[in-house]
Amino acid sequence: MKIVKHSFDGIIVGAGGAGLRAAIEAAPTMKLAVITKLYPTRSHTGAAQGGMSAALANVEEDNWNWHAFDTVKGSDYLADQPAVDILCKEAIDAVVELEHWGLPFSRLESGKIAQRRFGGHTVKEGAAPAFRACYAADRTGHMILQTLYQKCVSMGVEFFDEFQVLDIKIEDGVCKGVVAYEIATGDLHVFEARAVTFATGGFGKIFKVSSNAHSLTGDGPGMLYQKGIPLEDMEFYQFHPTGIYRLGILLSEAARGEGGILRNKDGERFMERYAPSIKDLAPRDMVSRAIATEISAGNGAGPNNDYVFLDLTHLGEEAIMKKLPDITDFVRTYVKIEPINDPIPVQPTAHYAMGGIPTDVNGRVLSDHKGGVIEGVYAAGEAACVSVHGANRLGTNSLLDIVVFGKRAGQSMVDYVSSTKASPLNESAADDLSNKISGFMEKEHTTEFSVAKIRSELQDSMEENAKIFRSKETLDNQTEILSDLRERYKNVTISDKSKVFNSELLEAIELDYLLDMADTTVASALARKESRGAHSREDYPDRDDTKFMKHSFAFKNGDSVKLEYKDVELGKYEPMERKY
Amino acid sequence: MEIDLKILRYDPENDKKGHWEYYKVDAEPEERILDLLHKIKWFEDGSLSFRKSCAHGVCGSDAMVVNGENMLACQVLVKEVSNPIKIEPIRGLPVLKDLIVDMEPFFDSYKKVMPFLINDDEPGDRERLQSPEDRDKFEDTTKCILCAACTTSCPVFWTADSYIGPAAIVNAHRFVMDSRDQGSKQRLEIMKDVNGAFRCRTAFNCTSACPRGIQVTKAIEDVKRETLLNN
Amino acid sequence: MKTQRTDWGRRQPPLVGSSFELYAWFFMRVSGLLLVLLAVGHMFIMHVFNDTLNLDYEFVAARWDTPYWRAFDWLLLALSLLHGTNGLRVVLHDNISDQTVRKLSLSALYVTSTVFFILGTYVIVAFVSKL
Repeated sequence: MKIVKHSFDGIIVGAGGAGLRAAIEAAPTMKLAVITKLYPTRSHTGAAQGGMSAALANVEEDNWNWHAFDTVKGSDYLADQPAVDILCKEAIDAVVELEHWGLPFSRLESGKIAQRRFGGHTVKEGAAPAFRACYAADRTGHMILQTLYQKCVSMGVEFFDEFQVLDIKIEDGVCKGVVAYEIATGDLHVFEARAVTFATGGFGKIFKVSSNAHSLTGDGPGMLYQKGIPLEDMEFYQFHPTGIYRLGILLSEAARGEGGILRNKDGERFMERYAPSIKDLAPRDMVSRAIATEISAGNGAGPNNDYVFLDLTHLGEEAIMKKLPDITDFVRTYVKIEPINDPIPVQPTAHYAMGGIPTDVNGRVLSDHKGGVIEGVYAAGEAACVSVHGANRLGTNSLLDIVVFGKRAGQSMVDYVSSTKASPLNESAADDLSNKISGFMEKEHTTEFSVAKIRSELQDSMEENAKIFRSKETLDNQTEILSDLRERYKNVTISDKSKVFNSELLEAIELDYLLDMADTTVASALARKESRGAHSREDYPDRDDTKFMKHSFAFKNGDSVKLEYKDVELGKYEPMERKY
Repeated sequence: MEIDLKILRYDPENDKKGHWEYYKVDAEPEERILDLLHKIKWFEDGSLSFRKSCAHGVCGSDAMVVNGENMLACQVLVKEVSNPIKIEPIRGLPVLKDLIVDMEPFFDSYKKVMPFLINDDEPGDRERLQSPEDRDKFEDTTKCILCAACTTSCPVFWTADSYIGPAAIVNAHRFVMDSRDQGSKQRLEIMKDVNGAFRCRTAFNCTSACPRGIQVTKAIEDVKRETLLNN
Repeated sequence: MKTQRTDWGRRQPPLVGSSFELYAWFFMRVSGLLLVLLAVGHMFIMHVFNDTLNLDYEFVAARWDTPYWRAFDWLLLALSLLHGTNGLRVVLHDNISDQTVRKLSLSALYVTSTVFFILGTYVIVAFVSKL
């Protein structure tokens, strides 16, 4: 196998919003490369739709403290409040900075950035829904991704497109670099670098119905987990209430922010029963649970009573086409109905990982639950867990998270690189990965152990046992299924033995990460005997602040998971009952 | 229903040129073309290679030629195309393997038009103002996802690979028409080049190919007009 | 230790600074419009107002007695040749990728057009009525 050696100060893995924002921060002062398994503009940041919240107060009085209150309450009090303060305070500058770089926000008549309502965002700590989400029609994520990439192009940032990082080298708790696989040639590349940021995104592909891209397989968290670094709060996985029925394609919460209504099979606006004050604009965990409850009570529509309707018909053609053009397009393309005239069949879809690689507010990766850090390793975006989202993320806060903490991770790289010296990493660093790949290439293929088979069983079973409602019974059941899948994965084989664009090989390696993500999700969920945010246990329906005001840390322990806990950092907001 | 697929395949390690391979796949009418390709890859022939990511038409990975027309494989349903389905890589860029083409020349052209906001004024600590009307002038071209469906449907691009192509001009349009941008002069210089916007022969293939519904040819004509008026 | 990127803030320079293609494009639109008038006028004069059987030396000589008709015909000649040549130039550019073949074809085109232009101009300018 051909091995190519590179020498950089800093490496960023992943070129979505967080990775690109970190690159913009770090590139001016160091020799930096961004390595991405896709082309940067293919990253899933581009699929985000509704907006990015910041208390700009362009439409009405607003205050970042109210934003922080909503975020903490939305998180079911599991978010670290000092981190939330940073997120909401720095949000304002982050939005303005993106505008200065050219982001084409939608505008108000006054020429200022337009803002819309979004789930869980209120003024005066719950008084009424707030106009806080800055948006560009319903393609805000697309615009953020494009703008950040454009900025990188203007700066001459160096990219390695379609290179997949598959190994990180950490010696004595200090980062040495990464090893990447060049997808177009099958060559291995050793990147010597003393600062590495992981911005690899989420892992929604552990579920069957998901809004996530095929590429979201938890590569960053998986790679670090296998090196002994824990994963934080993995039991908290967000299900977006309005995915297109069966396909899971996201229909933005902006649809409800603009006035869309959820209805059951009888046309009833059922959210009035679950969240009397803000109804359809309740946080995602509550709306998804409400939909699941309606469906299990037999109020779902369709022949199998397994979906509800998102009704936009009263908004009028002009408002729909102006403010929600993309989701209108998706519905026309994939459901073949006209959302101006007919309600849209939706169901909750796996959407966002609140958990991930534990970091401090500067993006530094934590090595344990006691506050230790790995020198030179950083993480940002959905791959990371700061934690600002706690047990449930509010809509629009993910786009905020990637720019605020992407920038902070970039700054940390700059500080670290300027205070340390390069340390060499030689070609032999590629040995582990080289052996792993040779293993796949030499093993004879049998369809019984194909990647697709194991993966689809993983996705089906996670969908069945670990989705919105969980219980000891379903989680125990899933634990067993996962250990069986893990055994079968040890024999996994591939049929494609070529070197050029061997995506089957990469899917096989990614499946390992997916299994890690599922293992840690189920183990953390089983141990959390309470219901909080997106984690709902049927056997423990109440929140238990005395026992579980804690972040879980899942460590790899052979083929099983070892759990530790860390107290939540509280602040000015006392935990109270979460009502909307 | 049973679908017949005919895919133009090319394995650089063994083939000198592309060849057709035939598959039969069981599919629902509501499935995407991309789902069919996955069925082949995952359960029949693991070596079939194509790019994909978001699977709902926003990332721009899977542009290909389906029954002779450029489209995103994830955006077209089985029931919308006639059976048998013929799939080829997009045209005019070097094929690397099966349905995967070399995107580097495409992105090089994109970078040539300076696709970023140029404004050297001190912006202050709040956003620059822009009226909704000014914002609307480039709304259409902000939708571009750089999938290359337009550029690789352009007959001029097929023969003259030095032509920067519709996608690059669309991205120039995005900034030329933005009231906040000050770099139009430089950008329009590039548009005047022998391989710039005036190479366009208004064949309109790009407009029909765009999976985002961008009026590509109109954008190119806008850029030509701007170039003339600003010269 | 801080290392500085050398190509920091780099912007791509324009390819070439020439406005030729722009003017060529604009010329095609303007000459196209003019040619519609000139060519339609020419057609009406030759085929509608007059019987083609009557078009003889005398007819031409009478017409070219005035400098205006000479100018009309020269304009028709010049514009149609330039318009056509530029159109063919574009077609050859688009369809011939081999640089040598393209150069040869373009040269042939330019030579032919120039010969016709000189010949036509000579006839129009140098014509002296022998009536």
